[in-house]
Amino acid sequence: MWILPLLGLLAGAFIGSTLTYEVPPTYIKYMSIAVLASLDSVLGGVRALLENDFDSTVLLSGFFTNALLAALLAYLGDRLGVDLYLAAVFVFGVRLFQNLANIRHGLLSQLRNNKQEK
Amino acid sequence: MKRKWYLTITAVFLVMGILLSLQFRAQENFASGLTMQRTENLIAMVRDLSSKRQNLSFEILDLTERLTAQKQAERDDKQLVSNIANEMNKLNIITGATELIGPGLTITIDRYMPILYIDIINIVNELWAAGAEAISINDQRVTANSAIFYAENSNNVFLTVNNHTIDYPVVIMAIGDAANLEKGLTIPGGIMDNLALFGAYPVLEKKDETTVVARNDTPHFYFLKEYKPEDTSSSESKPAANNQIHND
Repeated sequence: MWILPLLGLLAGAFIGSTLTYEVPPTYIKYMSIAVLASLDSVLGGVRALLENDFDSTVLLSGFFTNALLAALLAYLGDRLGVDLYLAAVFVFGVRLFQNLANIRHGLLSQLRNNKQEK
Repeated sequence: MKRKWYLTITAVFLVMGILLSLQFRAQENFASGLTMQRTENLIAMVRDLSSKRQNLSFEILDLTERLTAQKQAERDDKQLVSNIANEMNKLNIITGATELIGPGLTITIDRYMPILYIDIINIVNELWAAGAEAISINDQRVTANSAIFYAENSNNVFLTVNNHTIDYPVVIMAIGDAANLEKGLTIPGGIMDNLALFGAYPVLEKKDETTVVARNDTPHFYFLKEYKPEDTSSSESKPAANNQIHND
């Protein structure tokens, strides 16, 4: 049942590589922070699934608002002369690793439960 | 509930994939762009490009030089061709290969006049001497190879020019300064006076435009060869002796 999301990821990568649209060089920085935020949201969603409190509305809203807000904040920081970009990288980076750790824990506990049931 | 998380996760992953690959490409392009290159690399690139540019400009110079050389050669060739054509025209005029037109004098001699071939020769000589540029007798051009003579059969004696019989009236046409030509013939004690002694009075007529026909037959040469002095640059000792002989 994990195959469908994986296929979705591959299809997305394919679509993205076939698109002729190029991100303008000035927006690459904001785009990267948006990608980081969305990556964090996705991993958060996966973790929620494993912990059985998954909510698609939360995931979808988090996915888009996080990405947009991160990009906006980075942009604002550039305008103001404050490196909010770094703050966003830091926050999302930390959360990313926390999410990954939680996912690992979740998967391990699931495996153990399965073994004990056997 | 189960179906829904599936779809959501898939949609999110799809968008994620698009974003990731877009960002990948953009970042790759950005990193390979000139603004992200290290200064040393940029310097090396500039050097490389400027040396290439220099080579290319040298090549341009070389090629333009060759182009001008070719053009020069072509111009020389054209010059040569036109020179040869001019020369050929002149030779055609001199050797009588072409019909000529110009002011001149006609001398008409009729049957009843007691005139021999030798008189014709004298007239022609006198015309040449008086500055005639081209002469024809009836339909025969007088050239370097022309012979004026006579032929006879049982009844008659014919005048011949270039071995062709000439019918009466004999019309000699000469291109040149008409007044000079006439004077040459009519000076006291000249040919006209001489002929008058024998009762022959050729009719002279100055004309603004006379036509001298082209020769009918091209001369053939079987024996003659052009004489070429030996090349002085090929051997040093012999030509000196040769030259002395020539000078003597």
